Amino acid sequence: MVYKSFFGGKNFALKDLSLEIESGQVFGILGPNAAGKTTLISILSTLLIPDRGTVKILGLDALKDTNKIRERINMTSGSPNLPWSLTVYECLRFFSMAYGMSNKSKIEELIEMFDLSQYRNVEFEELSTGNKQKLSLAKAFINDPELVFLDEPTTGLDPDVARRIRKKILEIHEEYNITTVLTTHYMSEAEQLCDKIAFLNHGRIVATGTQKELKKIIGARDKIIIELSSGVKLPKLSVEGVIGVDLKGERLTILVDDAEKRIKDVLNLLSPVYRYIKKISMEEANLEDVFVELAKRD
Amino acid sequence: MFLSSLQKEIRKTLAFSYKNLIMTKRNFFTIFEMLFWPLVSLFSVGLMGGYLELDENKLAFIMVGAVSLSVIQLAQLDVTYVLLFDVWSKSLKYTFASPVTFYHMVMGTWFVGILRGFVAFVILSFFSIRLFNFNLTKVPFFDLILFLFGLFTTAMLIGMSACILLLVFGRRAEIAAWTLTAMIMLICGIYYPISVLPEWVRMISLLIPVTHFLEFFRTFYGFPSTYSNPLLIGYALCIAYIMAGVFISELALKRARKNGIITKLSE
Repeated sequence: MVYKSFFGGKNFALKDLSLEIESGQVFGILGPNAAGKTTLISILSTLLIPDRGTVKILGLDALKDTNKIRERINMTSGSPNLPWSLTVYECLRFFSMAYGMSNKSKIEELIEMFDLSQYRNVEFEELSTGNKQKLSLAKAFINDPELVFLDEPTTGLDPDVARRIRKKILEIHEEYNITTVLTTHYMSEAEQLCDKIAFLNHGRIVATGTQKELKKIIGARDKIIIELSSGVKLPKLSVEGVIGVDLKGERLTILVDDAEKRIKDVLNLLSPVYRYIKKISMEEANLEDVFVELAKRD
Repeated sequence: MFLSSLQKEIRKTLAFSYKNLIMTKRNFFTIFEMLFWPLVSLFSVGLMGGYLELDENKLAFIMVGAVSLSVIQLAQLDVTYVLLFDVWSKSLKYTFASPVTFYHMVMGTWFVGILRGFVAFVILSFFSIRLFNFNLTKVPFFDLILFLFGLFTTAMLIGMSACILLLVFGRRAEIAAWTLTAMIMLICGIYYPISVLPEWVRMISLLIPVTHFLEFFRTFYGFPSTYSNPLLIGYALCIAYIMAGVFISELALKRARKNGIITKLSE
């Protein structure tokens, strides 16, 4: 169990925290503001020492083997601040050297990979926010890390740049199988990227699991929505997975555990009234529902 | 194995030389501070000496002090810049998240400090001879090198102290980068012999290496040392302080990782 407090132990940023991340995963850490996400990432990236508890990273003790761990991990955050008067190339060169490497082809590869070729001689402070973030991400892969921490990597970016960065993160993960720990405020980002998610609130892990498991934890339901002609007499919809039925005017809402799995059975039951069906749609419970529900829990 | 890990350590150290050199090169004010203040100091002291009609020896006394102070200040600033550049760029956490130690940082930037300090020394020597007929290089070469290396080592110690203060007190301690050397000016016999100081201040000044390096260097300008082996004492103090600095910096870093000052300084 890890504990971390600030201001002389009065304010606990993390308490009672226990977490295990499997290698090769994209692991998301979600939670409202001040939930402790950045504190957790800072501890995992060896920038902070917990008050109590043990932290093992890649099988090594984060307190004793700090530099050995740092050789094998890397990080970036949503405020990508790098030395202001170094150019894109020089920033990567500096960090490559700081990791004890002399591989100039790796620098070129990252510049290419993150579409920074035309900015290679532009100083950091003159780059756009999107390019600063790309450079910061490129820096996070300079040492071929086995584990990378991305703390809100798309914060403050316009949707197009954010989408491209998410795509790049996914591509790199798929190609190199780097274990990735990600914090984000954007539920769509977590849905798109994360294999598994831990939900953090008030410094505690409230729930951990895959997206499906988390939806199950909060009892989130998928919906099958059917628009019908008025005055239709509905057959009884008793089939496995159907949790509730609600008919309001011409709109029939069927709550199910898994819309994709149950749609066939539901439509079979509705076969006597097929000709009265005007439109069918499915609404999956999303992570936003999970977020809202879990954020209420202490 | 040993060779490859040595190469790695050298690269990590040179990373900070590389960064500081570029940041210095691109920043007009860091070039300005290399020329402007040292020359202002030299001209003021030289002209004042002329006005007060100081004899050759007394002029040499204060000129040695003025040049030494400038060299120390410049070299010391470079060491302090290793953290200050990151604090100003808010990139401190990325530096500390990489597998480098405080010693890579200090050593790497110290090399740049030695380079800048040496350039300033050459420029000041040139103007001293041309304008004030005072030759800083008349000292035997090996003694001059030992003296300069003593000044650079003192600069490293002051730079380390400023970095430690930054890690302990955060941005509030930025001012230490410029004030620590000024304190040395006051008590280490830069412009006057330490014999004019009250007894207890003199005791403190004897604990500072630069007092002894100046005592040694001035023996070549007509001021025999009042005690034996000042150079040896100066270096012995340096070694003791470096060892203490290593220990204290470890504690300061551990404290910074406990109270989160590294992440706070990156916001």
